[in-house]
Amino acid sequence: MICNDVALEGVELEAALAEALNTPTGTADIPAWTDTKVVGQRLPKIDAYERVSGTAVYPSDITLPGMLHAAVLRCPHGHARVKKLDASRAAKMPGVRAVLTPESPGADIPWYPGEKGYVSRLLDTHCRFAGDEIAAVAADTPYQAFDAVRAIVVEYEVLPNVVGLDAALAPNAPAVLDGPTNRAGDPRAQGRGDVAAGFAAAEVTVEGTYSTGTQLHVPIELHGAVVRWDGPKLVAWDSLQGVFPAQNTYARALALPLSNVRVIGHYMGGGFGSKLDTGKYGVIAALLAKQAARPVRLFMTREDTMRAIGNRPAVRMTVKLGAKKDGTLTAIDFSCTGSGGAYSAGGTGGVNWLPLDLYRCPNVNTVSTNVYIHAGPERPFRGPGHPQGAWALEQAMDTLAAKLGMDPVALRLKNVPDISQGRQDQARYTSTGLATCLTEGAKTFGWTEARARVPQAGPVRRGVGVAAGMWRGGGGSPPATIIVRLVADGTASVNMGASDIGNGTKTWAAMIVAEELGVPVDRIGIEHADTATTQYTGASGGSKTVPTEAPAIRAAAIEVKRQLLALAAADLKVDATALSIADGAVFVTADPSKRIVIRQFRPLAQRGVLVGVGVRGPDTHGMAVNPWGVHFAEVEVDTRTGLVRIQRYLAAQDSGKVMNRLTYDNQVIGAITMGQGLALTEDRIMDAAHTGRVLNANMHDYKVPTALDAVVAPVIVAVDPKDTTCNIAATKGLGEPATIPAAAAIANAVAHALGVRVVDAPISPQRVLDALAAPRTPAKGVRS
Amino acid sequence: MIPPFAYVRARSIDEAVALLARPESRPAAGATDLIGCLRDEVFTAKAVVSLGGIEAMTGIAETADGGLRIGALTSLTTIVKHALVAGRYPALAQAAASVASPQLRNQGTLGGNLCQRPRCWFFRGGYDCARKAGDTCYAMQGDNRYHCVFGGSTCLIVHPSDTATALTALDAIVSIAGPKGTRSVPIQQFFVLPEKDMTHENVLAPGELVTTISLPAPRAGLVSVYRKARARASWDFALAACAAAITIEQGKVTAARIVLGAAAPIPWRVEGAERMLIGRRLDEPTRARVAAAALNGATPLEHNAYKVAMLRGVVSEALGSIG
Repeated sequence: MICNDVALEGVELEAALAEALNTPTGTADIPAWTDTKVVGQRLPKIDAYERVSGTAVYPSDITLPGMLHAAVLRCPHGHARVKKLDASRAAKMPGVRAVLTPESPGADIPWYPGEKGYVSRLLDTHCRFAGDEIAAVAADTPYQAFDAVRAIVVEYEVLPNVVGLDAALAPNAPAVLDGPTNRAGDPRAQGRGDVAAGFAAAEVTVEGTYSTGTQLHVPIELHGAVVRWDGPKLVAWDSLQGVFPAQNTYARALALPLSNVRVIGHYMGGGFGSKLDTGKYGVIAALLAKQAARPVRLFMTREDTMRAIGNRPAVRMTVKLGAKKDGTLTAIDFSCTGSGGAYSAGGTGGVNWLPLDLYRCPNVNTVSTNVYIHAGPERPFRGPGHPQGAWALEQAMDTLAAKLGMDPVALRLKNVPDISQGRQDQARYTSTGLATCLTEGAKTFGWTEARARVPQAGPVRRGVGVAAGMWRGGGGSPPATIIVRLVADGTASVNMGASDIGNGTKTWAAMIVAEELGVPVDRIGIEHADTATTQYTGASGGSKTVPTEAPAIRAAAIEVKRQLLALAAADLKVDATALSIADGAVFVTADPSKRIVIRQFRPLAQRGVLVGVGVRGPDTHGMAVNPWGVHFAEVEVDTRTGLVRIQRYLAAQDSGKVMNRLTYDNQVIGAITMGQGLALTEDRIMDAAHTGRVLNANMHDYKVPTALDAVVAPVIVAVDPKDTTCNIAATKGLGEPATIPAAAAIANAVAHALGVRVVDAPISPQRVLDALAAPRTPAKGVRS
Repeated sequence: MIPPFAYVRARSIDEAVALLARPESRPAAGATDLIGCLRDEVFTAKAVVSLGGIEAMTGIAETADGGLRIGALTSLTTIVKHALVAGRYPALAQAAASVASPQLRNQGTLGGNLCQRPRCWFFRGGYDCARKAGDTCYAMQGDNRYHCVFGGSTCLIVHPSDTATALTALDAIVSIAGPKGTRSVPIQQFFVLPEKDMTHENVLAPGELVTTISLPAPRAGLVSVYRKARARASWDFALAACAAAITIEQGKVTAARIVLGAAAPIPWRVEGAERMLIGRRLDEPTRARVAAAALNGATPLEHNAYKVAMLRGVVSEALGSIG
């Protein structure tokens, strides 16, 4: 299990280790890209046809001979103990081949690491949320498996549950993890300077309270795996963002050597952080498969994924800002409380990063409090903690701008940092696109004119808002090892461990090789995401895939190019430096008539293959690599019904060099839509009054925006600071930074439209109407 | 996953009635709600009786007196696209067009839309609630943001149907076939409040099914409209809805129906507000007075006070689009 903080620290740790171990850089001599011909173009995905025609085989499409289907019994109560469990009737039902209960050998695998060791087991009789796994069945058909699960007789001792933050912290609240309190450790303080002095020096202060709802990942492909034992070896086709972390989890849970676990994840239907690793489902499937001596398919139901596979935790935040009259920030005081559910302490992971790092400010204090509740555990979700932090900080910045009589863009421009104040070493950013995103974005959006527009009469009000953000990750890091091969017919292939999580990884990998080798993109094959045939890399998460893999791919391609040019130089009897490659041919730069068509090049045909290995080099020492973004939204709010419609949207992103402008834009559109969901409609609702169940664990009651809700044709401004320091591909991550400011920008636009601020997400029609009905004094939070 | 059931195709209304008279037989028209109910274990089915092959329950026909007779199996998409519906009863066309998503409208039928079960998340969420003959309504203590502001008693559902709201404003007649023969009831008498019957939303007795929905000929000067507020622009039930059917002769209202949707366990006609319109011009002050009056007597719950403002808002929008 990965917790936000551990994952982030892990990345930095990896970088430090790579440096200490003197990992071969492979990239040290290669100058960073400036201008590129193929990279940056708008190219459709190389597997687009397979994806839309249904011929792409996703893990959930895998069917093996003799394959069984599994179903899982989950606790229907928020908190209960299994007093008695009788699976004897289920075991005798038609088609049932394996039954797993908490008593089964191997089902007691420790699960969910806590402060002092693991706090639960794979199948546990102490259930701490409605959806906790108790037993599982594998049968010939999915229906037989579900019927058998229904036939398991369980006697529960139903215990009091607690699913609210306040309720969990109240005296005498039911203990979630048997500790003296439901607070997960002491509140964590982070900051710098002297906040009291900062506020004393401030000429203007604002203070407010904000909150967000719990957002669910809801990827189209459900969580699950098909597993098969091949003697002592386990093979798993698992819907994942990273096959190597899953290989590790399978190996640990089942006490197998890594080399006996093969995880394959060629296609996957979305994860957004919830598929960085396999889950209980994969290990349960492996145990059932072992028991039945048959392959097993276990995909969770949609409802169960909404209860049990993770979430972006709801967070309650207070922000106090102090500033000089010219807008210079003097102090930020920030506190947040959130819950990672029953088993994770990471309810506020990443939430305080924007208060710590987004704006230049000498005095910052942040306090983060984590609480256990009887709910499914959180999991990293597209920029963990950052959209929540942006929700509070960026609304507070707007309030501050109003109080100062400053334009919100101007206020932000006044406080652009050039060093990462949140990092202990106060590292300088390799590039800070924040100012350019603000100015270019405002210009393209027509911010000044839109902001000055006189509000129209009538029940429908219009407003514009802005919000900024950055992502703590997004710089990538070692390790990544790439193999590029050029074969006799002049085609090439890329071998990489990374998963393509839907954002076009395979396509830009091919584009990078095309850029360096002159081989057309459609002549480049991709092998990826298979622990048996590709090389170790971390999961495709943290917006690290491009900045981690692209430099290594480029290094591998350059190595192949070096070998090819050496062969060609010998053949043409010139120095290799005199040669160029383009359009499938090597030629003398000064005399293009002297040329070798690669697919007819005999020395290559004789060798059969040229192999280049590229390794992701260490990051630039003492520098911080971060992507930035600023979003602008224009909304209409109907004051009769409380409905918010987004009319116009612009996202300006600094993610360094663009790999593929088409998939870049698509990634930003998806990120905006996800931010829109957080801002307006998405919210896990739990039955605090009775059972502690998720009341809206379905696609109707949990409201992901539909195609009719999503912003039409947002304008996307790709800011490229030509960062030649961050890595040799001059690029940074995009997927997470593009969602971080979205919800806050929408909230600021709504506040501008209404003249009253809705401080709690989602801004449902209910909350808009309640805010309009409330007396016009800021009872809760602040308003502009 | 759905527990096993037998699947039977009825060839005629009589055959359907006979099959449905058996215990735990459930009719399937479009089956879009049936499958959800079976999956959520709202009820069980020993047999599912498909009505799809019953010719007599399909089609839209003009009646001799200028009204419309709509077979209960008519798909919502067909209703949306039908020129006579759109021309004479726009409230119904608009209500049908606002249901769910295109796929569900293609599959879902008008009869099914009227007879669908409530969306209450306790009712659907595995709770043994009063509507399922359990002993309590969980919405009384629990999260009731989507529940009723009128007509609640021992159960606090809202009726989920968009078309029911519109058809109530249009004075539709529901024809029913059953073991004791056929009968027709005005739609207002078709739906029942929990105080009358806690476990059913309508008067259908075991074995009975809706066969046709009839609309009276529109009076000269009749204008109708349906307005729906919902959290998403598609695939969402109403948070608040209003159907209005107003007859205006020589500039003044001579007849009015105003019906609230997502407000009560049945489509909720607000006769007091209707009466205020009679003899008046539909000007802005009148509309505002009527919209306010439409919510007189509303009794919001702990979490749904917003619905009063929102319902007032959709009434005002609906009347505004007419006047």
